[in-house]
Amino acid sequence: MKTVLGDEQLTFLAELRTYLDGLDPALVEATRAENIEDPMQPRAHGRRFLKRLGADGWLGVAWPREYGGQGRTAIESWLMAEELYNRRLPNGLLTLNAIGPTLMLVGTAEQKAEYLPRIRAGELEFAIGYSEPDAGSDLASLRTRAVRDGDGYLVNGQKIWTTGASVATHLWLAVRTGRPEQRHRGVSLFITPMDAPGITITPIITQGGERTNAVFFDNLRIPASQRIGAENEGWSGIVTALNFERMFYHNEPRWELRQLTDWAAGAGLLDGDTAEAHELQAVVGEHAVDVEICRLFALRGARMLAEGHVPHAEASVNKIWWGELRQRICDTGLDLVGEEGTIATGSAYAPAHGHLEHGLRSSPVWRFGGGTNEIQLDIIATRGLGMPR
Amino acid sequence: MTDTDLTDEEALLAKTARAYFADFVDNTYLNAQQASPLGYEPRRWAQMCELGWTAVNLPERVGGAGGTLAEAGVVAREYGRAAFASPLLQTLRAGTALATLGGGAFDGTLARIAGGGSAALVAPPDRTVRAEQAGGGYRLTGSAVVEWVEQCDDVVLLLPAAGHWVCATLPAADLRDRITAVPSVDNERIGRLGLDGLRLVASPIAPEAARYALARANLLRASAMVGGCEAVVEQSARYAKERVQFGQAIGAFQAVRHHLARMVIAADAARLACNEALTRAVPDADESAIAAVAVFAAGRSYVQIVLTAAQVHGGVGTTVEHILHHHYLRAKAMQLRGGRRASRLREIHQALVVRREGRLW
Repeated sequence: MKTVLGDEQLTFLAELRTYLDGLDPALVEATRAENIEDPMQPRAHGRRFLKRLGADGWLGVAWPREYGGQGRTAIESWLMAEELYNRRLPNGLLTLNAIGPTLMLVGTAEQKAEYLPRIRAGELEFAIGYSEPDAGSDLASLRTRAVRDGDGYLVNGQKIWTTGASVATHLWLAVRTGRPEQRHRGVSLFITPMDAPGITITPIITQGGERTNAVFFDNLRIPASQRIGAENEGWSGIVTALNFERMFYHNEPRWELRQLTDWAAGAGLLDGDTAEAHELQAVVGEHAVDVEICRLFALRGARMLAEGHVPHAEASVNKIWWGELRQRICDTGLDLVGEEGTIATGSAYAPAHGHLEHGLRSSPVWRFGGGTNEIQLDIIATRGLGMPR
Repeated sequence: MTDTDLTDEEALLAKTARAYFADFVDNTYLNAQQASPLGYEPRRWAQMCELGWTAVNLPERVGGAGGTLAEAGVVAREYGRAAFASPLLQTLRAGTALATLGGGAFDGTLARIAGGGSAALVAPPDRTVRAEQAGGGYRLTGSAVVEWVEQCDDVVLLLPAAGHWVCATLPAADLRDRITAVPSVDNERIGRLGLDGLRLVASPIAPEAARYALARANLLRASAMVGGCEAVVEQSARYAKERVQFGQAIGAFQAVRHHLARMVIAADAARLACNEALTRAVPDADESAIAAVAVFAAGRSYVQIVLTAAQVHGGVGTTVEHILHHHYLRAKAMQLRGGRRASRLREIHQALVVRREGRLW
């Protein structure tokens, strides 16, 4: 079998670890605390952290050199994202790994020049404006309209579940430019600064305590130069970005499993020879198997990208495994904890620092965010196995 | 989804082996062999030996091809894909264990395997057989259920003793009185081997060396199960496109599509873990933990896949007239040959979580 992680990749990982170990501990700690509280939106410390990485040349390691990257493969990019997640530090997930590469494929020369250097420097943060109250999984039915107005467009409508909108600098926005019955053939993609006149953001607080948003557009003006791809042909950009996004789920479940095992070790249960310890060891053992497989799924996607293939069904497999596993680890972890598992995050008495209960509260999003798992199953069956639609 | 991580040599070997089995194996053939006195066709055994499969990863000094464990894994995978039964997998496992222990002590047995002989590996996963030092050798207690033990030429015993392991090979003829043929769930033949009081002359082996040799041998069973997973997913997908209900192919129904997608996920999980382990279980990179992960994942996936395939196929999938029934029975049997689920999981816990084996943990 071909090996994916060669000496070159492991050397890269060692260098990265040395670099991260050498960063200002105060910055790292503040960033980590912020990230654990709400990982989907780097705020003051997270932004400082990403800019530091950008200034030191550690962002966009898999970007081509012509765009200021290190020109490495998707394997290194994956290793880096996993390492950062394992330390609970932000990795610029969507902006660096989905928006940047998509712009490289479908952006104009001017758009690339305008955005790619600033993304790679860690200066920009994109929020993704796809979902609407009446268009979630059925993105082709979105209604927010852009109407041609001179050398630009006027946008009116509403987005929902726009996570990160309150901290983002820019919005990656899908809108209808054609007729509704044209479905996905009448959709265009735009970039707009988040502080443009006509944008109103209102918070939606989730049961896990994370913030997402509704975003309203009232005669928002976007210059035509900020359209990504041709008018009514934004769909391929959406699909491209989604494929990159799904592929960059990493080995987050490993972190959740470590919370569980650290708690068990602290409770003296990990090495015991009692019936209770045996049960726990078997449960943790199966999670450990699934965490290993999670890594292999992500690594397969990275390998495919490195070989110049775009993972479709494979990305969906990755996404389902990842989202379900994280939820399962938090759920069965709390089963092992028992009654004390009801103590909420924030209390010094919360087992596993509350990470398992916080994780379980947040976990529904993991299974439907980025495209519901049921849609992913359809993609696997139709694209992977050729089932009729 | 297709394998993209096979080397050119492995892909060629896989293609050859797949074509070989496809040429004669179907449900009728498998049923006929299962009902036959011997359980397999000696003519086919001779052909497989001629093709070099039983010795693909044995050293050249004993007449083997000097290939990799992954190449043996490719052969085992096609064997499992075809649901073919014979001493092939057992012989591959026995030869792999002996060749891994190395040192030349077992070259006689290895040369017999390379010359067309068959061998069975006795290494009960839940340690139902023990070796105790007695006089200048060892005295055994316990029993094991072993595939093809009655039909093979040689028997390889790899057993735990106090603080170390022992390995010995015996002509199967010497154990004839201790073997009771018992019916098997699946089409592989099995025998119960009673070992109480058997005296052995064997040299001690370090536990790590024994664990590593067993991990490599067991990976071949994992690879056979991966082949089974792939065959059943493909068969089910084909059926879902052909079978029409309510005026359309059942694969157009979301409920059926989701079953199929879950089968793909399970098969991918098993294959990726197995391929990773086959790559990493090489000399100087003793990583037994990933091999244990692969064996567990393969067994779990194969069983999950056949259970779902029976649902996708409905009644036609549960009769002896359909090849699916062989996979259905082999899946659970092959999984159980790896021992008790809870015991395997606790070992994996010990290796991955407590000892933190593996490159990225």
